[in-house]
Amino acid sequence: MTPIISVTDLRKEFKVFRHHRGALGAFRNLVTREYKVVKAVDGIAFAIEPGELVGYLGPNGAGKSTTIKMLTGILVPTSGEICVSGRVPWRERRAHVARIGAVFGQRNTLWWDLPVVESLDLLRHIYRVPAERYTRNLATFRQLLALDEFLHTPVRSLSLGQLMRANLAAALLHDPDVLFLDEPTIGLDIVAKERIRQFIQRINRERGMTVILTTHDLSDVEKLCERVMMIDRGHLLFDGKLADLLRRFGGERELVVDFADEVLDAAVEGAQIVERDGPRVTYRFARDAISASELISRLSARYRLVDLSVREPEIEATVRRIYEERLLDNDGG
Amino acid sequence: MLATYAALARLAFQRYLAYRTANLAGLATNAFFGALRAYILIALFGAQTHVAGYSVQGAVTYTGLTQMLLAYLPLYGWWELMLTIQTGEIAADLSRPVDFFLYWLAQDVGRAACQFVMRGLPILALYALFYSLALPPTPWHAAAFVVSLVLALLVSFAWRFLVSLSAFWTPDARGVGRTAWTVAIVLSGFMMPVAFFPPWAEALMRLTPFPSLINTEVEIYLGIVGGPALLGALAGQLFWFLALAALSRLVLAAGVKKLVIQGG
Ligand SMILES: Nc1ncnc2c1ncn2[C@@H]1O[C@H](COP(=O)(O)OP(=O)(O)O)[C@@H](O)[C@H]1O
Ligand SMILES: [Mg+2]
Repeated sequence: MTPIISVTDLRKEFKVFRHHRGALGAFRNLVTREYKVVKAVDGIAFAIEPGELVGYLGPNGAGKSTTIKMLTGILVPTSGEICVSGRVPWRERRAHVARIGAVFGQRNTLWWDLPVVESLDLLRHIYRVPAERYTRNLATFRQLLALDEFLHTPVRSLSLGQLMRANLAAALLHDPDVLFLDEPTIGLDIVAKERIRQFIQRINRERGMTVILTTHDLSDVEKLCERVMMIDRGHLLFDGKLADLLRRFGGERELVVDFADEVLDAAVEGAQIVERDGPRVTYRFARDAISASELISRLSARYRLVDLSVREPEIEATVRRIYEERLLDNDGG
Repeated sequence: MLATYAALARLAFQRYLAYRTANLAGLATNAFFGALRAYILIALFGAQTHVAGYSVQGAVTYTGLTQMLLAYLPLYGWWELMLTIQTGEIAADLSRPVDFFLYWLAQDVGRAACQFVMRGLPILALYALFYSLALPPTPWHAAAFVVSLVLALLVSFAWRFLVSLSAFWTPDARGVGRTAWTVAIVLSGFMMPVAFFPPWAEALMRLTPFPSLINTEVEIYLGIVGGPALLGALAGQLFWFLALAALSRLVLAAGVKKLVIQGG
């Protein structure tokens, strides 16, 4: 398959102008244009196949939104190439935007003072969706996103969760080829988040829609995406399966063992004892040092075990550690 | 494509219809100032029967027409587009597969139609109730007046669109806007017919697009222009619309270019 999105050596630099204060400062602002260059996206490359649901993960300020804005044609890259469905987004913007959908969390693209249904109807005209397809899509979204409870409410009176649901429906009325979601669950409560996640999953699975979803909330990625791309400070640090990421860096699993009696020599090569509480011993072990079954069989060969449990590393903590310790730096992803 | 713009206009009409209290309050203010202005003009005429081609009845009709056009044009200001540039919402509007200028024009036509019906016509009706209003001298003048009203809206829109684009470059676009709206109010002949100004000022004003907003319609309605000059007046309005629209498109392209390079 040819990729539906391909990105090569993409860069975006912003000039941030220094502003001096006061009257003299205003004058200086006019004559000297001092600025510093922020490299928001600093040479990234990836390809996405049709039908993929990819999580674009990174802490605040990593460059996620800047990437999405370039992919949706709102920003022009400083250098590098983007091709979405055979088009260069910013060069053929009208044709490009007619074939994509985009939702930016906490940003509304509907008309404030119109009821939701009127806004959707207007979009039907703007995107020239045939009446029959519009009716069918609207019926589907009304059901999947439970739009009926606020279909006739003016957009300005919606709650944030309802606003995101309405915007999702709006972004999909014209059956786009690709859906871009920039922090779609930001600021939502758990129930609202869950509803949106389920919806994203369904349209990806049932309609085969390609979806890129940025988030700094790991539970989004964990629930939805097989593939994650991790970005920090403009660099793509990792691109692959979430499970692989955790295998590489979340290697520190824990095994809690309850021995029948207190044991003196509980040491096992490849595992480290992190806690002892009477007959209960907690081991921490890296995936590449020893497997869980190996560890358990070595222990049970020596002692009688009453109970045991393996604790998977917390994904949240793992990723935080990757960021903080910059574990992926300079290894090319 | 036309259906898209028609839908945009229709929904803008509905949106403005929803502001019932604002419409009512605006109407009351218009009526109050309308009466005040008619009263002042009548006093100003004193014993004279004609001033600069206007009869007393013509002058009162003039205030009625300008009050009718106030919300339609809208002379007191328009901030919708400017706000979307300032908040960055413009990115969403630019991401729609429609022509951006026409996208806003269509919505402004809907707004204008609503305000003409809700605010303009009631004012004229009130005037007709209290004063004896002049009527266009010939059906040709009446027809030309209607065309002129539409052209005035187009000129007004292009001017407001252009002014709003200043928000791409200055954080104080509101100041630019306030100045621009004031200039339009004075130079359009809203405060006083252009013919009432000293000849040199009148000549200068007629070189600007602003009389096309108000003065042209009033002069057509009252029959102050007729014959070939009537067509000339309409052509002048059309010229200003096309010129301002062309300039708007150039400035818009520059603004969008800045936006897509520098970000919001
Ligand atoms: N329009 C802009 N002008 C200047 N700097 C910007 C602009 N947009 C983003 N940045 C900077 O670029 C970096 C990446 O921002 P962004 O893409 O919004 O990150 P994220 O979405 O991952 O939180 C940040 O340092 C941010 O301050
Ligand atoms: Mg962001």
